[in-house]
Amino acid sequence: MVEQVPMDVTAVDGSGVHLSSGTDTVVDVLFDGRRIWSFWTLRDAAPEAGGLLARWPPMLKRFLDGQTRLAVVEHVSGRVVFDEEMSLGSSTKRIAVVDADGRPLGIDKSNRIATTFDTRDPEHTAPLLDSTEQVLSALHDAGVAAFPAYGTLLGAVREQDFIGHDSDVDLGYVSRHTHPLDVIRESFRLQRDLRGRGFAVDRYSAAAFKVDVVEADGGVRGLDVFGGYFLDGRLYLMGEIGTPFEQEWIFPLGTCTLAGRTLPAPARPEKLLEATYGPGWKVPDPAFHFETPRTTHRRLNGWFRGSRINRNAWDRRYSRLREIMPPEQASSLAQYALHEEGTIARLVDVGAGRGTDALWFARLGVPTLALDYSYGASNAVGRVATEEGLDLEIAWMNLHELRSVMAQGARVARMDGPPTLIANHLIDATDRVGLEALARFARMALSGGGRLYADFDALTPGEQHVPEAGWDPLVPKDVDHVAGALRATGAVIVHSTQVRQRVTSGSGEKAGADRPVSRLVAEWRK
Amino acid sequence: MAKVSSEQSRRGLKARIVDRLARAVTGESLDALQQRLQDLEAEVQECRQLNIRLAEVTDLVEQLLLPMAARDEEAIAAAVEKYSRTI
Repeated sequence: MVEQVPMDVTAVDGSGVHLSSGTDTVVDVLFDGRRIWSFWTLRDAAPEAGGLLARWPPMLKRFLDGQTRLAVVEHVSGRVVFDEEMSLGSSTKRIAVVDADGRPLGIDKSNRIATTFDTRDPEHTAPLLDSTEQVLSALHDAGVAAFPAYGTLLGAVREQDFIGHDSDVDLGYVSRHTHPLDVIRESFRLQRDLRGRGFAVDRYSAAAFKVDVVEADGGVRGLDVFGGYFLDGRLYLMGEIGTPFEQEWIFPLGTCTLAGRTLPAPARPEKLLEATYGPGWKVPDPAFHFETPRTTHRRLNGWFRGSRINRNAWDRRYSRLREIMPPEQASSLAQYALHEEGTIARLVDVGAGRGTDALWFARLGVPTLALDYSYGASNAVGRVATEEGLDLEIAWMNLHELRSVMAQGARVARMDGPPTLIANHLIDATDRVGLEALARFARMALSGGGRLYADFDALTPGEQHVPEAGWDPLVPKDVDHVAGALRATGAVIVHSTQVRQRVTSGSGEKAGADRPVSRLVAEWRK
Repeated sequence: MAKVSSEQSRRGLKARIVDRLARAVTGESLDALQQRLQDLEAEVQECRQLNIRLAEVTDLVEQLLLPMAARDEEAIAAAVEKYSRTI
């Protein structure tokens, strides 16, 4: 028998909130009266010196320098557990958890730092509601019955409003198809339809995507659209749901009210909310975490996921760099390709990143196509190319979306002049599927002649790659394995060499170590 | 905290006892079964992943087949361009 310890906060410092708690309770942490973060006292805290410590979320730490009136409040009962004027770090200023434009930020339910609804005025949520209606209407016109889902549906049903600790709008639809293949094809069709209507669409999986809506103030807002379908009496909805469900609980759609607007809703929204958040969905939980059963996770992964290998990490990296011009020095591979070819009729940079090499070739007068899967990575180069009137096209291709590889492969094959392909540290930035897709693309693009030039970090003989902690953008590859994968698609390796030692960067043990870089040149002869 | 950690350690102890008992009874065949289960799970995922590949090819073929059937060169070129732009 364990004695129930009432929840109490003993101290708050630079490491987090020190507390004792007998039962798991969800609490809000307020700075100067504004909710910044919420956590569960047992689930999210770790034992520490006879008590518990809920560590500050890493993304909040950069703000924690200054003075604030810090309160810890039980979310459901409103009981104030801790309330003190205090100082963190050395600054004497008030702590301001705000973005670059001064907009208040908080930790949302997905553990992201974002502008949550509890700090937005109706004048700020009106454009979001307009966008929501616009996308719902476009999806309806495209042939699916979409409705607010996840936190947006929860807010509409429980509070007829946005949930304060939420930060985005989620929409869902349930396909009439009963096979994942058809659900995927329908999702592709929806994407094409929305693109045709002028929306930017970024795909999360084969059954979910984000629709960007340009709002009246010029800001761009992304609305998530999750596809679902029925299979053998169960509803599967990206990205977390797989549960026994009746079709009549979805169709025909009814309505719900969100901040004064009437929007479509599942016929029995409470059933979907129970399937999403459990029977306790009526009790607010600003720190809710999904505990998706392994079997549901595996099903959704197997059917629909796998197209975003390292995408989020590259997007994050480029988000700080995409509007800044990259260094103008062309890569050693680009210079080598030009030297070897002499004259290049057309250059295709596969995995162009920020577009350094693509710009270099375009400035030499070579018609150039820069392909990458991270949207906007070469925004700055694109602007400069337009200003200078260069023949540089920036387009999107994802090695993990076969249709994009095949379509771009066919496009390049139809272009004038045998193209030269370069792939500078692309092979070591992708996996086996990506390598096979690169080979497929090259075989198609080079069907009328031309060569692929590729540089990649290589394993030394007998070396086993040991992943470092955190994200490793480049994973060295076995040269024979890479050459074998290219040859399997009909490639002839016309040149293979180790070009230089790359000094590895980063903070791990291997930082500063020499890393061989392999260079392959391949042709696909008929 | 005490409650959670004691529950966790009880569960851990129970799992270890069950594992030892199972090993005592089944010997090496338990490892073989666990390996087989892993292999089967991997094979099931491989089958599921075919859906995406097949859907991608079907989608592409469907979009390109009509202009090709009409032997309309301009329409084929336009279809290839449009396809890349709208995915």
